[in-house]
Parts: sequence; C-alpha cells; structure tokens
Amino acid sequence: MLVEITAIIRRDKVAPTMRGLDAMGLGSMTITTVSGRGLQGGNVMTDLDREIPAEYDAVSKITRNLTPASFALVHSLTRPVFWIPKRMLQIVVPSGMKDEVVDMIMSLNRTGWMGDGKIFISPVEDSLRIRTGERGLESV
Amino acid sequence: MKMVRAIVRPEKENDVVLALEAKGFPAMTKTHVFGRGKQKGLKVGPIHYDELPKVMLMIVAEDPEVPVIVEVIKNAAYVGYEGDGKIFVTPVTESYTIRTGEKI
Repeated sequence: MLVEITAIIRRDKVAPTMRGLDAMGLGSMTITTVSGRGLQGGNVMTDLDREIPAEYDAVSKITRNLTPASFALVHSLTRPVFWIPKRMLQIVVPSGMKDEVVDMIMSLNRTGWMGDGKIFISPVEDSLRIRTGERGLESV
Repeated sequence: MKMVRAIVRPEKENDVVLALEAKGFPAMTKTHVFGRGKQKGLKVGPIHYDELPKVMLMIVAEDPEVPVIVEVIKNAAYVGYEGDGKIFVTPVTESYTIRTGEKI
C-alpha cells in the first residue's frame, strides 16, 4: 500500500527538508514551484505601512468574503500579495512510513508563523518504475 | 476530504479565484502548466500548437463543500469553446497544518 505525501512548504525550507528526508533514506521526490494562499487570502506587507493592520482586521471581521489582500488593493492601502511563492514536494512512500515522514516534515518546517504550509496525504493505487517495470512497493 | 484540481484558461484564472473567494474559499494553490486535450492541441493556419498554457488550481476541501466548489469553478471558467479545461476530484485521507501540527 502506497501513499502520496504532498507538502506545500516555504521556499527556503526545501533544502533542510531534503536533507532530513535523505537521512531517513527517502531521497526521491518531485518538487514543483507553485504559488499559494491560505485562509488569510494572501498577505499584506504590514512592515511597509504601519496603519494598515488595525484597519484590515476590522474590515475582514465584518465581511468575511473580503480578504486582507483584496481589501488592500481596493483601497490602494499597501502592497497586497495575492500569491505567495511556495514549493510543493510530492513523495510516494509505503503507508507504514507515513507518520514518520509527516512528523519529520512538520518538525523541520515549523516556524510558528502563518504560511508554514500544509501536508496532504492521498492514496496511490499503483506505482511503476519505468526502467525496470517493477510495480508496487519495490518501485519506490 | 477531497482535492479539487481545476485546469482552467489562464485568462479566466482571476475570475475563478474571485468567485471562489466570494463563496468563502480563499485558500488554494496554483501552478502554471502546459497541456493538451482531445483535440491534440490547436491548429492555427499551418501552425500546430501541441502544448497550450493553462493554470492549475488545487483546493482541498471537506466532502460536502466539493460540489459547491466544482459548481463555482464550472460557472466562472466557462467560455463554451474547446480548451475551457477540466476539473478532477481526488481523495485526500489526511491533512495537516504545519504551523500548529493539527490534523484535520
């Protein structure tokens, strides 16, 4: 039984995560450059414009549909960031190693700030190594 | 839990994102992809384009929210011509937030 672990993480955490997974003997993965946004719907560069945070907090509490970034854009308040650059790692592992890998990724990527990312786990029905034609567990 | 993957026209990306945001789904991941469909690309005069640029949006949601998301994307990305894109729904068994370590 195989599972696919999709981790969407910060760009600067890719190298530490790869080293950590290498140490576990899981060197193989697919890395994609993606852009993402979370429940906050983007970001606002609050460091550049001090009076914004109070204001957009109040507004986003009233109308849940308006995200901080779109509020900032409409009112030309500060520099809204709609899409935050991220890296997506996809690793296919035997389902027994799932928890171990998830713990490893979480411990290496946790900074405690919003934007640390998400991990999704989905089932994989079959897997095949093209070079040799091996299937299933021995192919990963 | 399900992952909804929508491959839409790049020019429709903003419409789809705003429609989803208005329905209360601000969180998603996007990536630029190239693909072709049943028509094996596009032929304009003598020139054949076999890889067409598209945007892939990925949203993970609880099962009851999936039909809503699919409907919103379908309406927002619709043009009526070949190349409008596809929506795929795949199972996700677990999901974690790295910041808090909580499992959903």
